[in-house]
Amino acid sequence: MSNNQNALQIVDLRAGYDASDVLHGMNLYVGANERVGLFGPNGHGKTTLLNTISHVIKPRAGRVCFMGEAIDGLAPQKIVARGLVHVPQANRLFPDMQIMETLELSAFTPRARAEMKANLDYVLELFPRLAERRRQQCKTLSGGERQMLSIGVGLMCAPRMLMLDEPTLGLSPKLKDELAEAIAEISSRGIPLLLVEQDIAFILSLVDRMYLVDHGEISREINRSAEVDHQEIMDMYFGSGAHDHG
Amino acid sequence: MIMVDMLSAILVSGIVLGSGYALMASGLSLVWTTLGIFNFAHGVLMTLGAYVAWTISSGGGLGLGLAAGVAVTVAALIGAGILIERVVVRPFYDHRDILLITVMTTLAAMIFLQNGIQLIWGARLKQLAPIVPGTVQLWRTTISAQETLMIVLAPIVLAALWLFLSRSRIGRGIKAVGQNADAARLIGIDVSRLFIITFALSALLAGLTGVLLGSVRLLTPEFGSEPLVKALIIVIFGGLGSLGGTIAAAYLLGIIEATLTFFIGIYWTPSMIFLLLIVVLLFRPQGLLGKVVR
Repeated sequence: MSNNQNALQIVDLRAGYDASDVLHGMNLYVGANERVGLFGPNGHGKTTLLNTISHVIKPRAGRVCFMGEAIDGLAPQKIVARGLVHVPQANRLFPDMQIMETLELSAFTPRARAEMKANLDYVLELFPRLAERRRQQCKTLSGGERQMLSIGVGLMCAPRMLMLDEPTLGLSPKLKDELAEAIAEISSRGIPLLLVEQDIAFILSLVDRMYLVDHGEISREINRSAEVDHQEIMDMYFGSGAHDHG
Repeated sequence: MIMVDMLSAILVSGIVLGSGYALMASGLSLVWTTLGIFNFAHGVLMTLGAYVAWTISSGGGLGLGLAAGVAVTVAALIGAGILIERVVVRPFYDHRDILLITVMTTLAAMIFLQNGIQLIWGARLKQLAPIVPGTVQLWRTTISAQETLMIVLAPIVLAALWLFLSRSRIGRGIKAVGQNADAARLIGIDVSRLFIITFALSALLAGLTGVLLGSVRLLTPEFGSEPLVKALIIVIFGGLGSLGGTIAAAYLLGIIEATLTFFIGIYWTPSMIFLLLIVVLLFRPQGLLGKVVR
């Protein structure tokens, strides 16, 4: 389970806000080329976990290794520069910037700038709607367009691994399908994924393996090969007497 | 003909005023737009710039000439801007009341620097030698060549600032940080480095204004106080978060001030300007070109 081939390895990670701990020692890994899901109710630390990995929040204890190297002491921009890219939840991006401006700016680190042309072509091919609206300002975009742009921005950072935080939040089923297709296409290029989602069907359609998050800890790991059906997961997770959700 | 002379006099002196205001207020506006704080030490940075230039260049100081004066001022002001950011702003970035806290800390820095200037240079009035001597006839009105230089230089400096912000990587990064610092961080922008650059740039603009105005007005430790108040009015008047609005408001206020001074005199003009600001804010709370929500 723990080896240097893993894209991401997290050991006993603790973090929180002010006086309260949100993550009580998280342990998980994402293998090379693996797609891993994080599932669990709101307020149980999924977003905090991603924020701590990308160092928007400072970890209180524990280790985060990316491609075999510790990154838990690095500033956010250095983590992006290494290729671990976090697409945050409901990102409102840069309200007064146009789509193209935003995408070009997002190739900010030296490595991303070197790949800018190719990545820009890829993003516009993946999301033709962004190409159509290239002069439109971020603040005027619809929820779906904004989500596409958020992922596009992540791709412009030249990711070696992507962490997506609820990319389908508030979207229609049709848009969810479109995004699922795009995300599957991205990961088919060999980019490992860590995907946070509330939509169990969406997450199961995309990942190889998934973790259930409960009160700031990993409560269970589920392999895709185990063929767990949706109802079973829901029962396991929210079912009778398993946990006290006071 | 008298009518034309009068109009010319008002317009020319209005544009001279507006040029100084635009240089001064753009620095203040840049810091507001990027960091979301008001730097009340912005005026005293202008004073500092003028005094440093005086010390290096004039006969009463080291007498090294104007070029040396400007060069040292540029370096000193960049340093002063960075120092203010480090000492009185940086410790509070993570604090949710950063706006209120930095009102106090930058005011404290202002008082500290103003008294420091008084201590070092004394209260005796000083004046910089003009960069260009002589007078110029401009559309039937005679003004000093130094004021003409300001009229010419201000749009050049502001255009350079605009180009930097809209075309360069760092400049675009500064705009991004102002619009959403968290999202900027996640695309690999070193936010705190851009905060420092913003402060240095803003201080540089203040210092430049000081050098230009230091030969038109007399230097005292309070040299930058009135321009700071005007710059604050302009940034609010033009609309918070809009550099274009700030620049437009600077020239507009310059012309309005010149007009009022001509017709009602200098005693009533400041109060009338505040009245105008209140009226504008009653009908357009976001200012002339400001956004409704920052």
